[in-house]
Amino acid sequence: MRLANEWRLLPMRIDDASLSMAIDETLLKLNSEGKSPNTVRFWRWLPSTVSIGCFQSAELEVDFDAARRHGIDVVRRITGGGAVFHDHEGELTYSVVCGQECMPDDIIESYKLICGGLIGGFRLLGLQAEFKPINDVQVDGKKISGSAQTRRWGSVLQHGTVLVDPDVRLMFELLKVSPEKISDKFISSVYERVTTVVLELGRKPGFDDVRGAMRDGFADALGVKLVEGDLTQEELKLAGMLKSKYASDEWLNKR
Amino acid sequence: MGYAEFKAPKGLIKVEVELAGDQILRILISGDFFMYPEDALERFERALIGSRVDRKNLMERVKNFFESTGARTPMVEPEHWVEAILRAAGG
Repeated sequence: MRLANEWRLLPMRIDDASLSMAIDETLLKLNSEGKSPNTVRFWRWLPSTVSIGCFQSAELEVDFDAARRHGIDVVRRITGGGAVFHDHEGELTYSVVCGQECMPDDIIESYKLICGGLIGGFRLLGLQAEFKPINDVQVDGKKISGSAQTRRWGSVLQHGTVLVDPDVRLMFELLKVSPEKISDKFISSVYERVTTVVLELGRKPGFDDVRGAMRDGFADALGVKLVEGDLTQEELKLAGMLKSKYASDEWLNKR
Repeated sequence: MGYAEFKAPKGLIKVEVELAGDQILRILISGDFFMYPEDALERFERALIGSRVDRKNLMERVKNFFESTGARTPMVEPEHWVEAILRAAGG
């Protein structure tokens, strides 16, 4: 029996894109049906993957030739927002799933609450980070984490990245970056607006260390106790069923 | 067939539009914005079909859509959708 302020912490997982996306949707769906507890999880992508927002056009955002050349997967998320390169060696991803009643109704406020966990985690790693609405966390005005959230069936899923040490050159080879977007930000170099844990700390902490810091940050920001637990048989079964949707061309090319 | 991109305060809106005379026959909106609930985007596109492509008309349709459905798009306002559509239509 889990107490009201106890949320589940899943073990670290390394999965391919379609299974990872299927697990997140499963947690959201079953949480809304009262069959999955509020949950925090951390995971990595293998192979490295470009995920696109649910409103983006795959064709407009991703250089598929480059992706094929580098053995990179491409997947559409169920959350909005932009395209992200998830580097297996350089990025930790988190997901938070909970009932809508645990979150402010205001969308930006709810991002702020969950991103507060990341900010606490960065603090434990020795970094001073701040929330940048709608969905970013910055260090010194540079993005170090981006998140995306959806609300369905009465529950909330927010997932996002912790940029530990991604291959930024490869990222720009994979993403078709709009010239308008770049010029709008008055920047000449990506390193003027994106940073990483490694760049800020001058060393590369292990993924376990980053996970531990973020776990403690989330528990503190959400005011909950995180209790270790595994995916249930029911969750694994539904995730297995949903996986084929995320692997399909139909879903990828929806827009 | 017209295409344009427009940068809202948070989100790059990409619009592909086909006109019949001065009315929208087909429209496809994509981009890195957020919309709650997500299935509202398809309804939004459908609600724009048949609209005359002038600022006043479009603004009325867009505002009506968000007011009647309660769909939310943080940091993207009706005028941003209208601007993106007008640019795609070449007007």
